[in-house]
Amino acid sequence: MGEPPLLEIKDLGKRFPARAGREPPPWVIQGLSFAVRPGEFLTIIGPSGAGKSTLLNMIAQIDTVTAGEIVFDGQAVDAHDPRTLRPGVDRRIGYVTQDDNLLPWRTTIDNVLFPIEVQGRLNDETKAHAEMLVRAVGLAGYERYYPHELSGGMRKRAALIRTLAYDPPMILMDEPFGAVDAQTRMQLQADLLKLWELGRKTIIFVTHDITEAIALGDRALVLSRQPARIAAEHAIPIPRPRNVQDIFALEGFAAIYERIRAAIQ
Amino acid sequence: MTELTAPTIPETPALSRKWVVLGGRVLLAVSLLLAWEIGARSFGTIFFAPPLAVLARIGELAASGKLVQDIAATLRVSALGFVIACFAGVLLPFLLRRSPRVTDAVEPYIMATMGIPKYALAPWLILWFGIGDAPKLVVVVLMVFYIVFITTFAGIRAVDQRLINMARIAGASEMVISREIIWKSLLPFFFTGLKVALPRAVSATIVGEFLVASEGIGHYIEHSRQVSDTVGVFAGIVIATTLVLAINAVVNVIERRALSWRPVEREMEL
Repeated sequence: MGEPPLLEIKDLGKRFPARAGREPPPWVIQGLSFAVRPGEFLTIIGPSGAGKSTLLNMIAQIDTVTAGEIVFDGQAVDAHDPRTLRPGVDRRIGYVTQDDNLLPWRTTIDNVLFPIEVQGRLNDETKAHAEMLVRAVGLAGYERYYPHELSGGMRKRAALIRTLAYDPPMILMDEPFGAVDAQTRMQLQADLLKLWELGRKTIIFVTHDITEAIALGDRALVLSRQPARIAAEHAIPIPRPRNVQDIFALEGFAAIYERIRAAIQ
Repeated sequence: MTELTAPTIPETPALSRKWVVLGGRVLLAVSLLLAWEIGARSFGTIFFAPPLAVLARIGELAASGKLVQDIAATLRVSALGFVIACFAGVLLPFLLRRSPRVTDAVEPYIMATMGIPKYALAPWLILWFGIGDAPKLVVVVLMVFYIVFITTFAGIRAVDQRLINMARIAGASEMVISREIIWKSLLPFFFTGLKVALPRAVSATIVGEFLVASEGIGHYIEHSRQVSDTVGVFAGIVIATTLVLAINAVVNVIERRALSWRPVEREMEL
């Protein structure tokens, strides 16, 4: 526990600007604080509309902060003014959003290579790494397909490895497996854990699914309803590597599940 | 697992549908030509030139080399004006995108000047530029610019902000975002603008040639009118229409290549 946190959120607050002639809207997030250690897999559980996406948008710096402070890698980020925002703070924060946001005019492999390409790091080594990831998530054979020719689960996989391919030390994930069926979802979770075991990046994974939060995380934070604050924190001492298929049967799962469910209510 | 049986689709083979469409087209073409011929016979050849005479005239023009010369003259002005207008009409929205304030300041003026009937400027432009290609060129540029500008502007406004955020987070520069995200997303808009603007570019050139020219399709039509040569007028119109259709076909091919990723029905194309 001695190492300094990679990310520190201090007393964070967010409210969106009022529209002309209307009351200012309520705080979406208020007095939110937590820290993430390097290499930690943190899951955040919150009800729909609790401001989970807003929180990640602020950390990724595509949205401004209204109050409080974000410290990333020992440096306070100035995120109050939209003009000083630095999205993805120098490519060190990756973001896998709810929507896959694949570029419809690029094939699978070209989508995966897009960040590497715009960063000017396209070479045999990065290409080989990207191709390895494509195979690891079962997209081999679909490299030349356009996004509209892929299934929902395949698109999620492509979006996931697009971020992994350029290797940012921290990755934010906003319910990335939200809109797929239970079977595919479990497979995607297994894929993610497998990939994480390879690289052990720092991950903040937001979800409304308690089982998912337990299956994936080292630690789970529970957000309150609006304005969002940390309502509870739970360590998840289930040993790794974990098998998401039979996570329910593991010792300790039921107790953690019950405690989190109680905290949400 | 039960064995999957092939779903039974009622048998209307694509082939027969294609023939029905083709047959309909041929039928329409024949009846139009017939109406044209009947028009020529009942109104007299001063008002309606018979189709075969028009065809024969086009043949004569082609043989004498005047056809190529006139098409080249019209095409020279239309194409140059079109390229200048496209370049400006695409570049300006990209520059305005960077500053919402400048956009707000400039937009009403662009909209207001768009309302000016471009042909009304022709006499004044002749005063300024004389009777060469220049006045025609200006009218063509003005005609095409607004169409390309407005469609590009609409395209930029319609770009999915989430894709731009994704690219920013990945470390893309504004230049790369303009090229890789915004330009690629607005291509369908751009091609729509091109197809609307193309016939107008040719029309504007032809109208310009009515007023000032010594060659070109418009000049040929106007000259034929002055000497009461209705066959010549009709031949000019047919040549101009064919020219527009030919250019449109070229644009369609380019569009199909550029947008080959799109999941569109091929038959939906205009």
